Amino acid sequence: MKILLVEDDGETADYVARGLTEAGHLVDRAADGREGLILASDGGYDALVVDRMLPKLDGLGLVRALRAAGVKTPALFLTARAGVGDRVEGLEAGGDDYLVKPFAFAELAARLNALARRPPLQGEPTVLRVGDLEMDLLRRAVARAGRRIELQPREFRLLEYLMRRPGQVVTRTMLLEGVWDFHFDPRTSVVETHISRLRAKVDRDFGADLIHTVRGAGYAIRAPDRG
Amino acid sequence: MRPIEGSGRRRGLPAWLRTTAFRVTLLHLVLTLAGTATLSGVAWLATIGFAARQLAADVEQDAGVLLRVARLGGAPSVAAMVDARMAADRTGTEYYLLAARDGARLAGNLAQAPRAAGWRTLRLEGGEKPGAEVLAHGTRLPDGAFLVVARDLAPVRNLESRLLGAAGWVGGTALLLGLLGGALMGHGVARRAAAMGAALAAVEAGEIGRRLPVRAGGDEFDRLAGRINATLDRLQELMATVRQVTDDVAHDLRTPLSRLRQRLEAAQRDAGPQGEAVTGAIEECDRILGVFEALLRIAQVEGGARRASFSRFDLSGVVEAVAEVYGPAAEERHQTLVARVAPGVAAWGDRELATQMLANLVENAVRHGREGGTVEVGLERGPRGGAVVTVADNGAGIPASERGRVFRRFHRLDAARSSPGTGLGLALAKAVADLHGMAIDLGDNAPGLRVTVSVPPLPRQDARSA
Repeated sequence: MKILLVEDDGETADYVARGLTEAGHLVDRAADGREGLILASDGGYDALVVDRMLPKLDGLGLVRALRAAGVKTPALFLTARAGVGDRVEGLEAGGDDYLVKPFAFAELAARLNALARRPPLQGEPTVLRVGDLEMDLLRRAVARAGRRIELQPREFRLLEYLMRRPGQVVTRTMLLEGVWDFHFDPRTSVVETHISRLRAKVDRDFGADLIHTVRGAGYAIRAPDRG
Repeated sequence: MRPIEGSGRRRGLPAWLRTTAFRVTLLHLVLTLAGTATLSGVAWLATIGFAARQLAADVEQDAGVLLRVARLGGAPSVAAMVDARMAADRTGTEYYLLAARDGARLAGNLAQAPRAAGWRTLRLEGGEKPGAEVLAHGTRLPDGAFLVVARDLAPVRNLESRLLGAAGWVGGTALLLGLLGGALMGHGVARRAAAMGAALAAVEAGEIGRRLPVRAGGDEFDRLAGRINATLDRLQELMATVRQVTDDVAHDLRTPLSRLRQRLEAAQRDAGPQGEAVTGAIEECDRILGVFEALLRIAQVEGGARRASFSRFDLSGVVEAVAEVYGPAAEERHQTLVARVAPGVAAWGDRELATQMLANLVENAVRHGREGGTVEVGLERGPRGGAVVTVADNGAGIPASERGRVFRRFHRLDAARSSPGTGLGLALAKAVADLHGMAIDLGDNAPGLRVTVSVPPLPRQDARSA
């Protein structure tokens, strides 16, 4: 992916750029809002990573200006502000995701992947498939290898969230936000317990595991390797 | 907004009736009326007394003349004199009776009369003016005949009724003007007090820049408003300072902590499988950040700025979601999480914060509840359109003497000191409850802790669309 990083703090910028480059992405850097706006206006990027507090033009202003100009490149805000209203403010300005500093690099990588690979809104699929697992979104039914699996509504949403991002790493906080609408970090490992419940239903009685733990990052659902 | 003691419509009286100004006017009015009454009394005594004495003197003089006539010429002369007097009386206000010793009438126009000497007030029965009152004086003449001289009291009575009428007009006008003035003053004062109250309520609701109206006149109300405004200015300054400091701390601490975390993470990547120690350091770093985060959030919530973005949200949905999220966590501790949630209950506030408050409470219940016990999460409709959220466990509970203190930052019960946790969960829950005007109460679940959160009803304009 081609990613534009707009960040004035040199050390954070180095760290993010290095990580993204190692992960195989192409990274351009801008150190202030105006430079970022000029680069991003081409629209040639797959995703933008924008710090909220920037010299010359702040992050909110940058994304607002881009959206006003019709540039729809997905944008992720980085911020040192973790206020309750700040996230909403960022999303209202046209941002697509919001990450509070400091963050684990794996979190940023997973979220960028999710943003850039978001499926287009039209042509919404009615059936999701990963390996021999099948989810019928209209009948709200799940089956694996032809055997029906009974899920609670929230388990269904959790599995749906994973199956809509096959092969992608999904972090704990992404699940908390996306499935339960929790925008804070509970001290109890609630995500882990829900995942293990889901695994008991989806993976336990079948040969190959579909839900994988990605160490230090989160979870991913993917079909077993055939080779 | 918290209702202020005594601000409700007590006894259904309108606000202007319950103002100091109206009460002062009322008192003033009572004193004015008492003064008018005294003045009227004095005037009454002076005029009516004078008129009555005048009339009596007239009668006395007339009777004296007739008595002298009687001494000189006896009853016949008196009779002639009386006849002459009656003939001369054009006003028809003079009355006489001359009776012989045996009671036979000798002269006069009085039909009946007392036979005792001295003063009397008589009411005429018949004659030209039946029912008229007269002042009569009886005299025994030297030859044994009896003379009554009387005068009509109508002029005195007329004067009385005139005086009464005048006093009534004066009193009535004073009463009316007083009431009107009191109502106007009371209304004015009530309106100004209401304007001040509305401005203060807006400030309390988070509109911190709002100020009390001050008129150019500069009366005591304006001086008071000016004083309050100065206090609000100071308060706003302090809040801005706190906010600035918080923001600075947030930024200045977050940045180095971020770098620390980044370096640790980079080191972890380079260290490969030997990175266990680094992983521990990252976890510790995250813990510091977590505490820091919670403190900032409590400060932000206590600042009250979030009130500005309050909206109506589905409280039933929030309670259900939180209970659902913690269900598996409770199961891991072999607890049964029982959720009884009344459907369709809405509340006014910040959904995200309410979710976090509830999550903290349920998390506490799961964490400190007895292994294998029951965690209850409930939502029911409360009195007057409100709602009540309960979270109960059957763990060790909190001793009654400790209950007031557990909401303080970093306060942890001795028993909980060894277990992980920041000691900020309940402090945040309390801050969120206060922000929403919710009362949070710790009770005994015998055994265990029962937390009750009383949620106020929706604000009126929003309840209608419910």
